Amino acid sequence: MSRTNLIKKLVGVILLSVIILTACGTSATPTAAPQAPATTAPENTPVPAQPTAVPKPTGKITVWGWKAAMDVITNSGVLDDFKAAYPDVQVEIVQYSPTDVYQKLPLALQAGTGAPDVALVESSHLAQIVNLGGLTDLTDLVKPYVPKINAYKWPDATLNGKYYALPWDSGPVVFYYRRDVFKAAGLPDDPDSVSKAVATWDSYLDVCKTIKQKTGSDCFSLNKANNFARLYEMMLWQQGLGYYDDQGNVTVDSPANIATLEEMKKFWDAGVTSDQLEWTDGWYAELAKPTPADKPIASLVEASWMGTFLKSWIAGGTAGKWGVALMPAMQAGQARAANDGGSNFVIPDQSQNKAAAWAFVEFVLGREQSELKLFAYSDFIPSLETTYSDALFIEPDAFFNGEVARKVYVDVVKTIPTAHVYGQFYSQMNGFVATAIQKVGTGKMSVTDALKEAATSIRQQTGLK
Amino acid sequence: MAESTTMLQPDVHPTAHRRPVWRDIVKARWPYLFISPFYLLFIIFGLYPTIQSLYLSFTEWKGLGPIKQVGLKNYTLLFQDHVFWQSMENGVILFFMYVPIMTFLALVLAVILNSKRVRGFRLFRTILFIPYIMNIVAAGFTFRLLLEQKYGLVNSLLGIFHIPPVPWLESMWGGRVSLCLLVIWAWLGYNMVIMLAGLQTISNELTEAAMIDGADQAQAFFYITVPMMRPVILFSVVLSTMGSFNLFGEIYTLTGGGPMNATITPIVDIFNQAFANFRLGYASAMAYVYFMIIFVLTLLQVRYFGQRVD
Repeated sequence: MSRTNLIKKLVGVILLSVIILTACGTSATPTAAPQAPATTAPENTPVPAQPTAVPKPTGKITVWGWKAAMDVITNSGVLDDFKAAYPDVQVEIVQYSPTDVYQKLPLALQAGTGAPDVALVESSHLAQIVNLGGLTDLTDLVKPYVPKINAYKWPDATLNGKYYALPWDSGPVVFYYRRDVFKAAGLPDDPDSVSKAVATWDSYLDVCKTIKQKTGSDCFSLNKANNFARLYEMMLWQQGLGYYDDQGNVTVDSPANIATLEEMKKFWDAGVTSDQLEWTDGWYAELAKPTPADKPIASLVEASWMGTFLKSWIAGGTAGKWGVALMPAMQAGQARAANDGGSNFVIPDQSQNKAAAWAFVEFVLGREQSELKLFAYSDFIPSLETTYSDALFIEPDAFFNGEVARKVYVDVVKTIPTAHVYGQFYSQMNGFVATAIQKVGTGKMSVTDALKEAATSIRQQTGLK
Repeated sequence: MAESTTMLQPDVHPTAHRRPVWRDIVKARWPYLFISPFYLLFIIFGLYPTIQSLYLSFTEWKGLGPIKQVGLKNYTLLFQDHVFWQSMENGVILFFMYVPIMTFLALVLAVILNSKRVRGFRLFRTILFIPYIMNIVAAGFTFRLLLEQKYGLVNSLLGIFHIPPVPWLESMWGGRVSLCLLVIWAWLGYNMVIMLAGLQTISNELTEAAMIDGADQAQAFFYITVPMMRPVILFSVVLSTMGSFNLFGEIYTLTGGGPMNATITPIVDIFNQAFANFRLGYASAMAYVYFMIIFVLTLLQVRYFGQRVD
């Protein structure tokens, strides 16, 4: 065999393997680097504190978020306003479900490539992602907004005194109820009377029993075997409790937490709840049943953003039949306000166009006019408190039979206590506690034993005390 | 010894002076070069991650930022982790719930299809195999809708016969049964095709001879077909064993690991730790312990079943 022959063969084989390798390599990372051309953006350096003082940003940005929220930005006209104000910035919106964002965004941050320029993250998952790292430090840019935004939103957005997100909306928890079902049960159905009737969880239980007895309707949905702790978290939040305390010690098995779950369990014991799992087709169907004779779910304790979902895809046909009251308190006179969810925009550090990214975030969430436009189109109440004096907040809402629902939202949002439900270990804590609640719901364990077991696991796994 | 025999049987050469391995490699450099793409890929995507995760299993790492050395902490933590041990237990439970049924059904169906009396052999084979090529995510969601407690089709049909609603996805055992239904539906065809391939290597004359001697269909099946098929059955069972610990898409879409972690498998748990809780070190330790257990299990299986194969 001649020498040249050998070299030819060798080169051939190497080429072949290189081709296969590269083919494999690219297919392994389909969402390659962000397409944004780094035209004017300073690379990996914080954006100047006064964006107005520098030339307007240009180029393209990619925004990740879920459909319900992205539709609001697009359909409310805020996106068009942004395009008018920043004609040289192209915005590409990519829709992912929240779950997908929480899987794809951390992976992209860890991989150092593939992240968008802007991403929407719920407060429940924000602290974990902030803790992971890979987000742009927005401290200087966000500082002017800190006093203007609901104080309870900030702990999840900050780490070691630095700010990594700008909040969009808050999740003031209210009491949604079916006026027609309450009426059919012989109960008062105007919001003020309903608020009084459900002043505490105990009195709410009495209301539920009446409804069940008189109409056959289930009072609300509280799944047993797959419960994911959402209502329980709201009940903790309204008391300023949570899964850990100010010092970071686990409080999952504290007497107050145990008492709260015992309170929730009363509704199961009384047999007044539906076992329909939230966010499934069956649940939507039970909320959307048109008349009391169809036995719809009578009420729902959930955050204001739920209003948007009820109006649009869940129960559009029941317009005018709903009312909004205050959520029950644990004890008479205690807070009737909690938070559930609420979203924030973050800017990954690998963004090649941070100037445009921040311009977008600030335009959409930092401007009163934008936030009000978004709110007019949805029930995503702005975290930006300077909007609360707008006329929008005294506008009657036809879906709620002419009730000024937004007034209720804003009254609630101002009284939400700071609580330690979310945080960097939220996914683990929520998982263990949800399992504990499932064991209580299905009668496998007592409240105390289940929460003690969850607390032990959480302490072991997180290393917290 | 003649030169030609050495070339044919290099390995049985007396051990007096064994040639170094590299010399064999140099001698067979072209074959080695031509299979090298596989090894290159394996080294980069198989071997490197395996070694890297062994290293990670002694650390705490979120996937970003500093890697903290923690020694054996992850492993000691693992032994206190109820969820991990429950996931192992679930793997065993699921194995016993669906593997015997599925293997038996696959074999019976294969025998029926293999008998000359069935018309439309290809059609039935295709129909039975279709679930396997279906997207498991779509199948999982469809099963979820079918098995829904209050509004699902299955419970509605059962209601016609006055059977009270079954809590398919709303109880621990219901969740496991639902999962097994989905797994059997999805994997029966695949196992049947393996069995069918095995059956076609068995000569019909054996069964015919037994029949002439007075054996009935069932006897021929249990005393001729099953023993002859032992290696194929073993293969199918070994695959299913690893499969039941490895179930992911089915669980992710149908039960999410619930209720009360009744259907969580080690792979789902490892995925959650790594990608929901960002505990890459801990997940790596889990992966190693899990690997050791599966390795031993498979070894035992092969030894136990394999003995009588020859």
